[in-house]
Amino acid sequence: MKGKCYIQGMAAISPQPTFEGDIFQAPLVHTDSNLLACIEPDYKPFIPGNSLRRMTRTLKMGLTAALKCIQDSGISTPGPIITGTGKGSLQDTEKFIKEIVEYKETALNPTPFIQSTYNSVNGLIALQQKCTAYNNTFVHRGFSFENALLDSIMMIQEGASHTLTGAFEEITKEHFYIKSRIGCWKSTSVNSQEVYQHLSPGTIAGEGATFFTLTGAATPQSYAAISGFRMLYKPSEEKLATALRDFSEGADLIICGRNGDSNHEHYYEVLDACFPGVPQLPFKHLCGEYDTAGAFGLWLGARILRAQQLPASWFPMQEQLTAPVHSILFYNHFFGEQHVMLRLERV
Amino acid sequence: MAERVFITGVGMITAIGDDVVGNLHSLRSQHSGLGYTEYIDTIYRQVLPVAEVKHPSESLFALAGVPVKDGYTRTTLLGLIAMREALQHAGIEEVQSVPTGFINASTVGGMCDTEKVYFDIIDPEKNGAFLQYIDTLDCADCTQRIADVVGFSEHIATISTACSSSANALMFGARMIRQGMLPRVVCGGTEALTRFTLNGFNSLKNVDKQFCRPFDQQRTGLNLGEGAAYLVLESESFAKANNSRILAELSGYCNTNEAFHPTSPSPDGDGAYEAMKTALAMSGHSLEQVEYINVHGTATLNNDVSEGKALERLFGDKVPLFSSTKPFTGHTLAAAGAIEAIYSILAIQHGLIFPNLNFSEKMEELSITPVTQLLEGYPVNNVISNSFGFGGNNASLVISKYEG
Repeated sequence: MKGKCYIQGMAAISPQPTFEGDIFQAPLVHTDSNLLACIEPDYKPFIPGNSLRRMTRTLKMGLTAALKCIQDSGISTPGPIITGTGKGSLQDTEKFIKEIVEYKETALNPTPFIQSTYNSVNGLIALQQKCTAYNNTFVHRGFSFENALLDSIMMIQEGASHTLTGAFEEITKEHFYIKSRIGCWKSTSVNSQEVYQHLSPGTIAGEGATFFTLTGAATPQSYAAISGFRMLYKPSEEKLATALRDFSEGADLIICGRNGDSNHEHYYEVLDACFPGVPQLPFKHLCGEYDTAGAFGLWLGARILRAQQLPASWFPMQEQLTAPVHSILFYNHFFGEQHVMLRLERV
Repeated sequence: MAERVFITGVGMITAIGDDVVGNLHSLRSQHSGLGYTEYIDTIYRQVLPVAEVKHPSESLFALAGVPVKDGYTRTTLLGLIAMREALQHAGIEEVQSVPTGFINASTVGGMCDTEKVYFDIIDPEKNGAFLQYIDTLDCADCTQRIADVVGFSEHIATISTACSSSANALMFGARMIRQGMLPRVVCGGTEALTRFTLNGFNSLKNVDKQFCRPFDQQRTGLNLGEGAAYLVLESESFAKANNSRILAELSGYCNTNEAFHPTSPSPDGDGAYEAMKTALAMSGHSLEQVEYINVHGTATLNNDVSEGKALERLFGDKVPLFSSTKPFTGHTLAAAGAIEAIYSILAIQHGLIFPNLNFSEKMEELSITPVTQLLEGYPVNNVISNSFGFGGNNASLVISKYEG
């Protein structure tokens, strides 16, 4: 990756109280249902009531996180909008599949079909912001948000002053059940805050909507710089180890996607072996596992870098930071297939 | 100075042919792929025309060169067939011989197969091989299966921007090359017909019960189609060092959002106008140098007015020859941009302008009409190919003759 880009604004809707308030004072939300669901904000300040009634959950979460991010960045000029989502609006997809059968393919309401389209959130943001710039949506599991990030960095290299870059995902009860049939989740109830201690097949499910305003130039408000980025598809352990070592010399904190899934834990053991002694913060006990959880991990890293402190209730196992954090290595993978590493630097 | 991006291999399968030669033959003989579905379980089987690939999924395995196995959806198989042809055409025996990216496009992933077993998947009482299809619910499944079969490991991505998906895949791949990230990227899309999509468009009341009539006053909607197409893109320096056979140049592109309505284009075609204008400016060619436009031309009431207005605004009274090839292939959604990019290359290579089938009456809103007869021996140097989609996603590509 050439050059750097800067995180100028952010917003996250997640299972933790991340949308507003002080995360450094926030309690830890946990569950023993193996499914961490989002704390949904009051959408009314962001979306007019008549639109709100028609919109399903993913659309509301995605649009609201995007609008809050724009507010946070202080940049209201529209620019490229680029997102990632593994599954789009599952609720709409499920509804339309069922209505086709229920109404025997006649007199169907088109709304769920329209909203199930993966780029519907992007279209809504553009419509709301009257934004006619570049607009793209990536739909590739654990590379969805990451390709959106790559596209954004390329846009900035090509001269865009800023991009609105985000990810959104929901988990429905039905989809939770479907994924349980192929062993994605733990078979017994696990307290989410103890997920790392329960090393067994499967993990806990999650969801979230996270947006960033990325810029080519730093400002005093910048949260962090993204100075390195690499994606690896189904790497061998050797290839992963080499890539990790090449990638992040001198990181003084690691944020990783560890999730208690014994099927894929060995990749995180490669990480442990590469960087003994560097403190690690796993984040899946906060947001659960989902295609675009990497966006939440990036959000967390950027918050920690700017504040130079940890949300204490979220990391009771970790002592407070004793030395300044200048560089964070972020490493995450999605069920062992899509591996991502990012380098974050203090501005 | 960013490098030029060349197209060095193409592969496709559509309702009018199992490969590029087959497609060219059908285009030349004006043989449409529209008909009625053999493979979708729908009450509209004899009612709504579609352009279906003329093979049951079981036979596609052989064409795709993979053993019959659960978990391979029709979307994946169509993609594999087109991919194998594109790689072979570009002379690529081993994709890992140089770092090669794969940018795919899909609108509903493996829905063609998952919709058949979805109610079993959600029924705890049921168990069986259908569980192999759970992962095919998403759009990444087809990309990864294709990547794993042919050996892509460098960079993979899947784009979904409705009907402009594979045009955006081509753009993303071209930009990666221009940024010097990869010397070679294979881009395109794959789409299989589904009951889900057919009912989706039908619920929007924009599917024609007759064969679609783009740019015709009496048009009432689109016909869906299926297919897959991939293009091998290479940087100029790599293509020359590798002695690649250069088919054409991807000289310009633009992606813009219309920000007008979730499913409808603006009546004056603002997005289409902007996309074509900016893509052409990037190509360095003038309006007069465009000989042919392969229009999006879905034959929906809104698209054709909007796109036609945009053509008139951009080109004034000198609108180049244009046609929609959707009466041949149906609207293949995520695959359309790549299929029509290949048709644009064929137009340049063979000096052809393809006819816009089923046209008889000029639209009252427009002063222009599409080409209705096949033109042969017509010099074509620059083609604009349009793909416009839901969510206001507009994409235009400019494909130019390679002059050496």
